[in-house]
Amino acid sequence: MSSPTIDDLAWLKTFPQSAVVVWASPSVRARVIKRLPFSAIDSLGDIPSEAGTLVVAGGGSMMDEAKHFRARVRPDLRLILIASIWGSGAELSPVVVLNRGDAKVIATGEEFLPDAAVYWPELLASVGPDQARRACGDTWAHALEAFLSPLAADGLRGKLAILMGEMLHLPLAGDARWLHASAHACALQAQASVGLVHGIAHVLEHPCRTRLREPWGHARLCSIFLLPVMSLNRRESTRWSDLANHFALNEAAIWNVLHRLFEPDAYAAALPLLHENWAKILRNPCTRTNGTLIRSRHLEEFEHQVAA
Amino acid sequence: MATATLTTNIEKLKDLALEVFLLSPGEFNLDLKREQIETWDSLGVVSLAVGVQETFGYHLTQDEAINITSIRGLIAVLEARGISFDE
Repeated sequence: MSSPTIDDLAWLKTFPQSAVVVWASPSVRARVIKRLPFSAIDSLGDIPSEAGTLVVAGGGSMMDEAKHFRARVRPDLRLILIASIWGSGAELSPVVVLNRGDAKVIATGEEFLPDAAVYWPELLASVGPDQARRACGDTWAHALEAFLSPLAADGLRGKLAILMGEMLHLPLAGDARWLHASAHACALQAQASVGLVHGIAHVLEHPCRTRLREPWGHARLCSIFLLPVMSLNRRESTRWSDLANHFALNEAAIWNVLHRLFEPDAYAAALPLLHENWAKILRNPCTRTNGTLIRSRHLEEFEHQVAA
Repeated sequence: MATATLTTNIEKLKDLALEVFLLSPGEFNLDLKREQIETWDSLGVVSLAVGVQETFGYHLTQDEAINITSIRGLIAVLEARGISFDE
C-alpha cells in the first residue's frame, strides 16, 4: 500500500495563508506547524469561513471529529488527515466514532472518507512505549474481532489472516509499519464488525477516565481486554478454533501477543467498572456482533482472568 | 451421586431468546413476534444466528435468519432441521 507522504503536501504552500488551517494534537503541534506554517486552530469551531483546506494531525478521536465536521458542517472543506499514532486506522476508514458525553456515537458512510491520508512516520517519535504497545493492541483488536465476526465472509477472513501473519512480525512498540497495518485492519474491519472488546472499550472509556487515576483511553481498554475476551470466545464456542485451523493462524504466537498486551493491575482496577456497566455492555451494538453470543452470566468469567 | 440436569430444547430456546434479545424471564412467551421485541433488530438477527449455532449446532442461512419473524417461526425452522421441541 502506498500513501502520500508529508513531502507530497508541498503544494499546500502555494495557497494563501488564510486558505489552510491546521488542527494538531498538542504532542505533535510544534512539529506540524513548523513543517506546515499555516494558522493553527484549537477546535473545529475556530475554522474561518474563508479556509478551504483543513489539515488534521492527531489520533483517532480527532480525525473522526474532523471527518464528521467536514461531512455534516463544512462539506466544501478539503480534508487531509495525518495519523500521529496508529491503532484506530481512522485516517482511511468510512466509520466515525464520536465521544458525546459518556456515550459513543458511531456512524458509517463514504462521506466520512478524507480527501487524503498522509504518511508522516517521523511524528511517531512523540509516542511513548506504553502508548505504542496499547496502539498495537488496538490494531490487534480490530483484526481479531473482524476475523471472528459473524458478518465476515471467508474472503475477508483470508485477508485478515494474512494481515495478522504480517503483524506477528512487528514489535509491540513504535514502528512505522504499524501505520499501514492499522489502516489495513480498520478498512477490513469496516466490512464486518467488531465485538465485545470494542463494546467494553466504548462503554468503559468514560468511567475509566473519570474515576481511575491513570491515563485511560480506547486503545488501552482494547489492549487490556483482548486476552480475557478472546479467552472467553475460545472457551464458549468452537468458532475460534475452527476458524484458526481453517485459516492456519499461528495461534500460539497470537496468544503470546495477547498475554504481552495484558496489564494485570490495570485490569483489576477496571473490573469493578465492568461489573457496574455490564448491562450497558450487553446492549452495546459492538457486543451484539461478537463472534460468540455474549450472555449475562459471562461477567463471572472475567474474574477468572484475575485468578489466572 | 451426580444429579443429572435435563434441559429441554424449549428451555434452551427460552434461555437463548432471553440472552439474544436481552429480555427478562417474564417478558418471554412462545407467541412473541419480531415487532414486539425492540431488540429483534438487524443486530438481533446476527446475534440470533450466532446463538442458534452455539445452542443447537445449526447454522441459519442468511434468508432464514432474516425471514424468521416470531419465536414459533424459529421453532418451525429448527424442527424442519430435525430439532425436536416436543415436551
